[in-house]
Amino acid sequence: MIKLYDFDLSGNCYKVRLLLGILGLEFERKNVDFFPGFKHRAAEFLAVNPLGQLPVLEDGDLSLRDSHAILVYLASKYDGSGRWYPTGDAALLGEIQQWLSLAEGLTATASAARLAEGMDFDFDAEAARKGAYRLFDVLDEHLWFREREGSDWICAPAHPTIADLACFPYVMLSEEGGVSREDYPAIRRWTDRVKRIPGFSVMPGIFPAQLGS
Amino acid sequence: MHDKTWVPVANSTDLAPHHVFQGRLMGQELAIWRADDGHVNVWENRCLHRGVRLSIGINTGSELVCQYHGWRYANRNAGCTYIPAHPADAPARTICSKTWPVIETGGLIWTHFEDRDPPLPELPEGGAALRPLPLAAAPEMVRESLAGLAPEGFGPLDETLQARGPAGSLHLMVQPADAGRAVIRGIVQSDEPELALLRRLNLFLRSARDQILAQAALTPAPEPIPHRPERVSEELAEMPEMVSGPARLRVQVAKKELVAKDIVALELEPLRGALPASQPGAHIDVALPNGLLRQYSLVNAPGETGRYVIGVKREPESTGGSAAIHDSLAEGDLLAISEPRNNFTLRRDVEETILVAGGIGVTPLLSMAAALKDDGLPFRLHYFAGSEEQIAFGERLAALGDRLVNYIGLDPEKTALALKGILKSPAPHAQVYVCGPAPMLDVTRATAAEAGWPDAAVHFEYFANTREIDTSSSFRIELARSAVTLEVPAGRSILSVLQEAGVAPPSSCCQGACGTCMARVIEGEPDHQDVYLSEAEKAAGDKILTCVSRAKSDRLILDL
Amino acid sequence: MNTMTQPDPFMLNQWYPIASLQEILPGQPRATKLFGQRISYERNVAGALQVSDGSRALPVLEQYGCLWTSLGEPDELFDVPEYAEPDRRNVNAGSVGVQVSAQRGIENFLDMGHFPYVHTGILGALPHTEVKEYNVEMIRDGREIIATECLFYQPMASTVSTSGADVEYIYRVPHPTCSVLYKSSPMDEKRLDAIALFGQPTGEETFRGHMVLSILDDVNTDDFISYFQLHIFGQDKPILENQMPKRLPLDPRAETPIRADKTSIMYRRWLTGHGVTYGTIPAAA
Repeated sequence: MIKLYDFDLSGNCYKVRLLLGILGLEFERKNVDFFPGFKHRAAEFLAVNPLGQLPVLEDGDLSLRDSHAILVYLASKYDGSGRWYPTGDAALLGEIQQWLSLAEGLTATASAARLAEGMDFDFDAEAARKGAYRLFDVLDEHLWFREREGSDWICAPAHPTIADLACFPYVMLSEEGGVSREDYPAIRRWTDRVKRIPGFSVMPGIFPAQLGS
Repeated sequence: MHDKTWVPVANSTDLAPHHVFQGRLMGQELAIWRADDGHVNVWENRCLHRGVRLSIGINTGSELVCQYHGWRYANRNAGCTYIPAHPADAPARTICSKTWPVIETGGLIWTHFEDRDPPLPELPEGGAALRPLPLAAAPEMVRESLAGLAPEGFGPLDETLQARGPAGSLHLMVQPADAGRAVIRGIVQSDEPELALLRRLNLFLRSARDQILAQAALTPAPEPIPHRPERVSEELAEMPEMVSGPARLRVQVAKKELVAKDIVALELEPLRGALPASQPGAHIDVALPNGLLRQYSLVNAPGETGRYVIGVKREPESTGGSAAIHDSLAEGDLLAISEPRNNFTLRRDVEETILVAGGIGVTPLLSMAAALKDDGLPFRLHYFAGSEEQIAFGERLAALGDRLVNYIGLDPEKTALALKGILKSPAPHAQVYVCGPAPMLDVTRATAAEAGWPDAAVHFEYFANTREIDTSSSFRIELARSAVTLEVPAGRSILSVLQEAGVAPPSSCCQGACGTCMARVIEGEPDHQDVYLSEAEKAAGDKILTCVSRAKSDRLILDL
Repeated sequence: MNTMTQPDPFMLNQWYPIASLQEILPGQPRATKLFGQRISYERNVAGALQVSDGSRALPVLEQYGCLWTSLGEPDELFDVPEYAEPDRRNVNAGSVGVQVSAQRGIENFLDMGHFPYVHTGILGALPHTEVKEYNVEMIRDGREIIATECLFYQPMASTVSTSGADVEYIYRVPHPTCSVLYKSSPMDEKRLDAIALFGQPTGEETFRGHMVLSILDDVNTDDFISYFQLHIFGQDKPILENQMPKRLPLDPRAETPIRADKTSIMYRRWLTGHGVTYGTIPAAA
């Protein structure tokens, strides 16, 4: 069975859980006490990933670190529809990669602000917020014009891709880092749509589109 | 800057289906949402219970549900329709979210905080709304900075932020979000391809924003306008007790329609403003032109807030109520009605609900069925009617699909048998609601009791108390809170004695059926003659319906 | 975000948790905030804990797995006798920063009605939403609020059952920003697990919640217990951070209480009675 080295409150781990859920894949969760135990820095986990970062996915003999690498792998291997990572479309792959990079930026900004405010990490929260707002501005403008073009999603015209899943978590958790989404209405509408993707799952800090589901 | 004008606070496209838009005007946060009937609501972005933003809640299409405790607020009137922590209580108090007026034109949503509506904004027909651009700068300064700028193809913006040029005409507005925050909105009319034009104007606004922000950085940011939520009424601040006033609403009969043999449906619309929120099972008093006061259940589904719908059956032994409605009332007539009251509350914290309707008794159950369906809760409506042609509100029934079971033309014996089948096994977390003619209700209650349903799980509403009231006793009542002692002689009701003394609870049907005039008994043994209280409640002896019930003891001490 | 408003005397003269003891490593100084004021603390190589506000040494207390200090003159810290029972596991499940006042955080901790909506499938489940009648009273000469006979439906009410049932809770509020709840132990029905939220007001509109448990559990690992508490607290966070205003309003007419809110009504009155202004919006005189 697929094994995920996981931390419940990590947005990067959540990206992977989201796709696993959407693809209907069974997996074993191996909880790594990132906080308050800092077990990702312990020898036991460093043997799994010398970078000391979560998540890590093991599938058979394969061991993969980096949430986006894992998304690419899972979509390419297990998504029969070929929609989540359409390997045959060069332009689209380029676009997806471009937004995966923006999602990296969200980890460095919105997520850093959240770790600073919530878990007392020694990051410059104010600078992280500034950076997050810059990225939100770019994403909101992009999504607003995508809607005018008749598309609901970041990349492909008719369906979401791993770019949507990669950007979603740290956008949705931004308020924990003091980053308001009030000025980004196109982003807010898009997050509602992501929540309605069949197979969508939640994590603490994110409510479902339907009450109590 | 914005005095006495409507202000745009959202684009129409911001209000996606089942989405709640978070907006801001002069420091006041707004929750803006469109219901499935198209109505746009502009509300204070705050649940009255614990201050949680309604914009993180759920837009069901007819109601807005708070994410924290599931409080539900109705489309249009913003009244709270359900408090899940107390599922057996109707929200007796008028808990109402703060709302502001709204118009939708030019692809924008407009509101204002003035006491009376300012003139409508003058806008050209048609056009496309620009992508809104928020920025952290004082609105006055944004307005001043924009004037004079010349977007490509339009010529310079004048003082009213309008520009004309070969590309078409452009109209910008500055939404004063807060002392130091603004949103630039706009409408453009042009023959150019729309998307390319919107992109070009977005680039123009972005560069304008950068200039303005650079300028704004030179002066200290103004303090945000302090957020001062309105205080709730004194009554709402208290722990709730049941209250209901005789408030009279004026409504107009918008539609009168025969919906089955001998049954008319009336649609009642407010003369002005919005109707108060109602809950499933609620009824209103209708003051008829001939001076009679009658109670009718609301058929309304959740979100059906623009009008009240009631069903009235012509009763052969009518004392004048139903005949007056059937024969004399016409569309366009005015009526006085009470605010909705609910003595037949629908619990929604259950796993299964059984609704049993006899004849016109279907009316409150229709509104319950619609609410349960909306909530996705399991239920079945068993509808007993004398004949096919007596089935009322066919369209509403059809919407229930296979959750409706009809029983047509059964004699009393077969009815009793059918009821036995329906109520054969009491389930934990199940509730039964029955409304119909008295004999059928009596049978249903007996059947339920026999099958082992707990009294508290069976709810019923009689149209009328057909039992004969014995008024031969005489006794004394002492009012604990008012410190008054009164004599109730034979032939008079407790209620009428209380009314004379000016300490009466609100009352409605005056025949022991509606429960409005209930009082708490502190001491003494009540002589229950009503059909409202359950057997268990009657046995407990701590409540009394003052309109028909009396005392077996010499005196009663009431909590009044 | 943290204003430097002066705390009122009642708030000032309390002990506050500022760190979990297990996180403090000898010779590694750390810093935090209390009432907007920067506080540094350190366990020196001799093993003694020292806390300072930069100009003076502050009082030190090691209790319930936390380091406590004060900027005023505190009395004794309240008692959680369960913590000393030998067969219990005491776990510090983590400290989480929240962008709302500590009193809003405590009020949420005292609230059962949100279980089916916020902790869906864990502490509650739709359609079971009823908050049944319960008791609230003031004890210890008005120094503590206690709510008893609180019942709420919980799916999978214990480790041995798969069906839902009412679970009983007791809530204590012995301190303006600390509360302890007791609920029947899934391991031993006759005894109660104690779960505490100790609030550190880092500012008027921010706090850190230190979660400490004293439970009868010889099965689960500390990692799992902490995982579970962080999961629950993480679900509360987006609610707390979307409350307006961020400070707790004490004016009875600021919000709309229902019968289910009896504990919080008493909590607000209690804060008013003690003249608490820090982290609250006092009722206009």
